[in-house]
Amino acid sequence: MKARRIVVTSGKGGVGKTTTTANLGAALAVRGKRVILVDADIGLRNLDLVLGVEKRIVFDLVEVVEGRCQVRQALVRDKRFGESLAILPAAQTRDKTAVSELQFAEVVNNLTEMCDYVLIDSPAGIEHGFRNAIAGAAEAIVVTTPEVSAIRDADRVIGKLQERGLPMRLIVNRVRPEMVRNGEMMSVDDVCDILSAELLGIVPDDPEVIDTTNRGVPLVLDPTQRLGAIYTKIARRLEGEMIPFTQLGSGGFFGRLFEVLRAG
Amino acid sequence: METQRVFSAPSESSPQIEIHAPPSPVESQKTPKTRGRTIVVTSGKGGVGKTTTTANLGVALAARGARVVLIDADVGLRNLDLVLGLESRVRYHVLDVLEGRVSLADALVRDKRVPTLYLLAAAQNREKDDIATDAMVGLVEQLRDEFDYVLIDSPAGIEMGFKNAVAGADEAIVVCTPEVAAVRDVDRVIGLLGNRINAQLVVNRIRPALVRKGKMLSVEDVNAILRLPLLGVLGDAADVIVSTNRGEPVALDEASATGAAYRTIAARIAGEDVPAPQAAEPDGFMDKLGSFFGGRR
Repeated sequence: MKARRIVVTSGKGGVGKTTTTANLGAALAVRGKRVILVDADIGLRNLDLVLGVEKRIVFDLVEVVEGRCQVRQALVRDKRFGESLAILPAAQTRDKTAVSELQFAEVVNNLTEMCDYVLIDSPAGIEHGFRNAIAGAAEAIVVTTPEVSAIRDADRVIGKLQERGLPMRLIVNRVRPEMVRNGEMMSVDDVCDILSAELLGIVPDDPEVIDTTNRGVPLVLDPTQRLGAIYTKIARRLEGEMIPFTQLGSGGFFGRLFEVLRAG
Repeated sequence: METQRVFSAPSESSPQIEIHAPPSPVESQKTPKTRGRTIVVTSGKGGVGKTTTTANLGVALAARGARVVLIDADVGLRNLDLVLGLESRVRYHVLDVLEGRVSLADALVRDKRVPTLYLLAAAQNREKDDIATDAMVGLVEQLRDEFDYVLIDSPAGIEMGFKNAVAGADEAIVVCTPEVAAVRDVDRVIGLLGNRINAQLVVNRIRPALVRKGKMLSVEDVNAILRLPLLGVLGDAADVIVSTNRGEPVALDEASATGAAYRTIAARIAGEDVPAPQAAEPDGFMDKLGSFFGGRR
């Protein structure tokens, strides 16, 4: 059986593409799926840092494309997940134009024989690096935050995905329920309406994600992190389960605590 | 670039454009012949606050009386117009000028609030590869004859859009957040800026409470790696999200701590001898919530 090929993209940078790719990959791996994460951000790679495997990189995507090594040699296993999770790192000292769309798609195709999911972490923007990332995918996850600039960029990216006929679903990241209630932030419903997109997940804003990201610990492995459960829900939805959404931004004081603990 | 006389005769379709604003007392030491400073705001990583910083520093510099033009170099994913609340006034963009369809004066959008501030918007339905680097440099050179400051809002990444944004600038404001990933990207960008460009650092979204708990890199941690002159530090404040969504830059908000920090950074850019702003104590939602969880956090 061939793996699903899913690109995680956004247009705008810093909305959580890499964090989403790493944590969704980890959540799928915990559930027993074999997952390969591909970092398409040549020159500005970060997926290795978020997983804490940066010191174990030997070869990279560009070296695979240039025939300097086999794709299996370039894969870095995340040992915390046994044989289930691996990353194909991007080159750090090269340019995005070092790989063509066709070459990128070919590498991803080779990976589909080895796993259940290939998740491709797209760079920000809609330039060459983005075109490479979507060239390898059959589905897309668009990550946005409830901010007008992120939504405008997501809208532009969704248009580009539709041109390619890629089906997409939306993750709304960094929702602050209190700001939604105060009318200072768009609700998830508003965001989905504007983008006419199907929702895959809602992730509340939590500044401590920065800490786990800095330490290279996926959220599903950190029992103090409530966000781990949220990524598990998103992984289950990706696998086709019907998991209801908890809407953020309604209810009183207890509602607030409830939604903070059970969001997703 | 053609030898168009861009500013000599504002066209009839835009009679409101008046480039030669009278110099304010603050800027009065400038002689009319002085050419403006060209500063790119960049980071490598996206979402660290480039556009917010460009907009707020532009507003703050213009409020001091300087003539300021902001160029959105993020072709295809423009947002500077939104952050300034000028999106409904944008009629033409950089590529309209570079491809000779309109004059530069016609494409400049004057700010609603600060009359010496102008925006040159990016094209939304074009690609970054459509701009030739030489043409971008020519445009910046033209603008610096008319303005005290040309601030260029760079796109994320280090592809063509970044190269075009950087090409015309003599100085850079590098924006970084206290995250390992951002520091790595910024470090790469500093290398690409090379020695030609004079770079200074703004550290954005610091939460002093998390820094104290050892859960966030400190400004010193960040700059131990980057080693740039520190221009300023900004806290992680919710009012910035609100002001961005509303198109009302916080730099004009007298009550906003972040606004005050942007005004101080602007004063430092203008050469005033004031200390770099430090991040204010946060009182955000998650920090308050932290107390509910006690030892778990």
